[in-house]
Amino acid sequence: MKITVGYLYPDLMSAGADRGNVETIVRRCGWRNIAAAVTKLRLGDKVVPGEIDLIMIGGGGESRQRLVAADLYKVKGAGIRDAVAAGAAALAVGGGYELFGRFCQPEKGAELRGIELFDAWTIRPAAHPARDGSTSGAHADRVFGDLVVRWGDRLLAGFEDHSGRTYLSPAARPLGRVVRGHGNNGAGSEGCVVGSAVGTNLRGPCLPANPALADFLISAALTHRYGTAELAPLTDELEAAAHDATLRRAQQATRGLGLARARR
Amino acid sequence: MSSGTTVQRSPAASARRAIAVCMGKAAGTGVRHLGNGAGGAIPGRVTLAIDPRALASLAAEIGRGSILVTGSNGKGTTCRMLAPVIRAAGLHPVVGTEHAHQRSGLAAIMIGRAAATGHLRSDPQAIGLFEVQHESFAEIVRHVTEPTAIVCTNIFRGHRADDREPGQVKAQLERAIRWLPASTALILNADDPQVANLAPELPNPRLYFGLADPAHGRVRADRTVDFPRCPRCQGELSYTCVYYAHLGHWACDGCGLSRPQPHVRVTKIGRTGSSSTRLHVTAGTAQSVLEIPLPGLYNGYNAVAAVAAATQCGLPDWSLAAVEQVTAGSGRMERIRVPGHDVYLTVAENATGYTEVLRAVLGDGEPKRLLLGLGECAGQQPDTSWIWDVDFESLTGLAPAPVISGTKAADLAVRLKYAGWLGDGQDRGQSAGAIIETDPVRAVQAAITATPPGHPLWIVSTSTALRSMRRWLRQQASAGSSSARSSSARAGSARSSSARAGSARAGSARAGGARWSRA
Repeated sequence: MKITVGYLYPDLMSAGADRGNVETIVRRCGWRNIAAAVTKLRLGDKVVPGEIDLIMIGGGGESRQRLVAADLYKVKGAGIRDAVAAGAAALAVGGGYELFGRFCQPEKGAELRGIELFDAWTIRPAAHPARDGSTSGAHADRVFGDLVVRWGDRLLAGFEDHSGRTYLSPAARPLGRVVRGHGNNGAGSEGCVVGSAVGTNLRGPCLPANPALADFLISAALTHRYGTAELAPLTDELEAAAHDATLRRAQQATRGLGLARARR
Repeated sequence: MSSGTTVQRSPAASARRAIAVCMGKAAGTGVRHLGNGAGGAIPGRVTLAIDPRALASLAAEIGRGSILVTGSNGKGTTCRMLAPVIRAAGLHPVVGTEHAHQRSGLAAIMIGRAAATGHLRSDPQAIGLFEVQHESFAEIVRHVTEPTAIVCTNIFRGHRADDREPGQVKAQLERAIRWLPASTALILNADDPQVANLAPELPNPRLYFGLADPAHGRVRADRTVDFPRCPRCQGELSYTCVYYAHLGHWACDGCGLSRPQPHVRVTKIGRTGSSSTRLHVTAGTAQSVLEIPLPGLYNGYNAVAAVAAATQCGLPDWSLAAVEQVTAGSGRMERIRVPGHDVYLTVAENATGYTEVLRAVLGDGEPKRLLLGLGECAGQQPDTSWIWDVDFESLTGLAPAPVISGTKAADLAVRLKYAGWLGDGQDRGQSAGAIIETDPVRAVQAAITATPPGHPLWIVSTSTALRSMRRWLRQQASAGSSSARSSSARAGSARSSSARAGSARAGSARAGGARWSRA
């Protein structure tokens, strides 16, 4: 068996080591004797529906988003939408997730048009100038910390690091509910799902410590290719330990916060 | 004024500074009495609280001015290489490294050298040599206002959230550099596109350093880094040769900007082992062969940066060889001898650092015993995602059964599993062979037990975990050396006697040895 992974902008969109997600897919396929070919899709390369079983895009800051946005919309957008409509899987993380929505309003400058896979949009509030008058420092509204999300009967664990607020239209389906952290916009939802395409703010990178999500994507990719999928279970001891350690840390942080509030 | 400067100060200001310096000194004595070695910056904080201008005026009293060394990696080692050169040339370096790289730490160094009058003891041969983090660089140049030269080693995209946007560190440094007088020399790494192009509009003298041995450059880029874009037009850069990360011979396809010809360069990198590097260095007309007791290409850059700074300061050619006297800084291939083993400790807190240190240790292709640590790095807690940018893949098979430690050991174990370091790949994702122990001290104990007697153990870790390991190892080292003195008649044979001490409790280590030779 073989699946093809379309890895979008490997040189431009891989902040927070999101390339680890691709590595995770390839390894978990390999351990099951499933070949996973990675096709790198750079500026100018088209997405041909039917050829790609799993589309992956990582995060990137505003300047990187600006470099890829037009290419993503004009060259790849329709291909990605058609592929997902035909059952292909996708994982879009951070800045990539934002560009998979309808639009992304950066802190300054014109809004970036998204590919409208997700019925969602992202606003990035303007940064407050730092004391020395520079505005290129940390965003005042930056969200940075543990992120735990209830996804079906499981918890997804990782961290988030974004200053964009993503809003879902009422019809859009979130990936899950925030248990700890900020998520899409602080109102309780995190990520977005269309078919087998997942958009999320989870970093870490998110797949190594959440093997269930990785296997969901592999399953969907296999189904796209062969109509069915049966995944042999793997020994995920180390992955489970990393997942639990993240949950424990998040829990401790929450308890710490509660205490601080109670004291006040 | 005790030195050559002629700044006029009011009596009140002088008194204020004298009091500030004395209070700082007193605080320093108090901290030392507490005796735990921490709090090195406290004298600086006390003094600056009383007289915020104290650092600026003390810095202005250094007879021959100051050199500031900044950048992402290699600042400290560059300083430690430059200091012996300055000494060899007959000058007196006032060195601020390690904990001095922030304002209060730097002030503390000066206060230590100041007299009770609040002035530095007059020394026309003194030259300041300060390691400055790029985050604090802007603040430091407001105090050390007229440095003779600044050295910038390299700019790596940090793991701090603030550094995520490429170009941000460069912009931060440039804002600070524009404060400097036009006489301050800029000593820059030609092989780093962002460093080479720092504040290009300024009239300051510029001296470039770099590597120029094509035999050691890789043609393909590492997968570990996001390459910077062209600093002038944001176009794509192409490389004819990459030494590590994004350092190499670069040119912009779009606007034609390219690597400047370095004035001081390594023309040939000779033998490189896991503990030394031989460099053929050309500086102007002078050529020399330097044997650096430190491994890794990155130390080649540190050495050539030090030589460039020395050249810029007019130090004589014959003093340059003193670069070889560099000693490993704390956590920079620092060796601690414990009974039975040499243990080498190296701190690595970002993807490039971790990759290059592993390459230096494992570069000779011989399998080695490794203890890898990963903890939260100060100020960027949950984010240790950079371990996915470390190029473990190219070193697979060279570190059988590593010990994994630190508060984030579980994440590191997963990373190593996916890099193919654990298990044999045919076992459906099982992970044989690793010892995972979050507690750093128990981990280092386990690693020593698992290392065959006489073999070295290499520790690569983030700083928090490394500190606990070092403390424990130092205790073992001093305990071991005192027992060695009493039990061994042969003087100076610490190694043979400690090997014997090691073999006494080598039952479990032997088992480790058997695993080791099979691997």
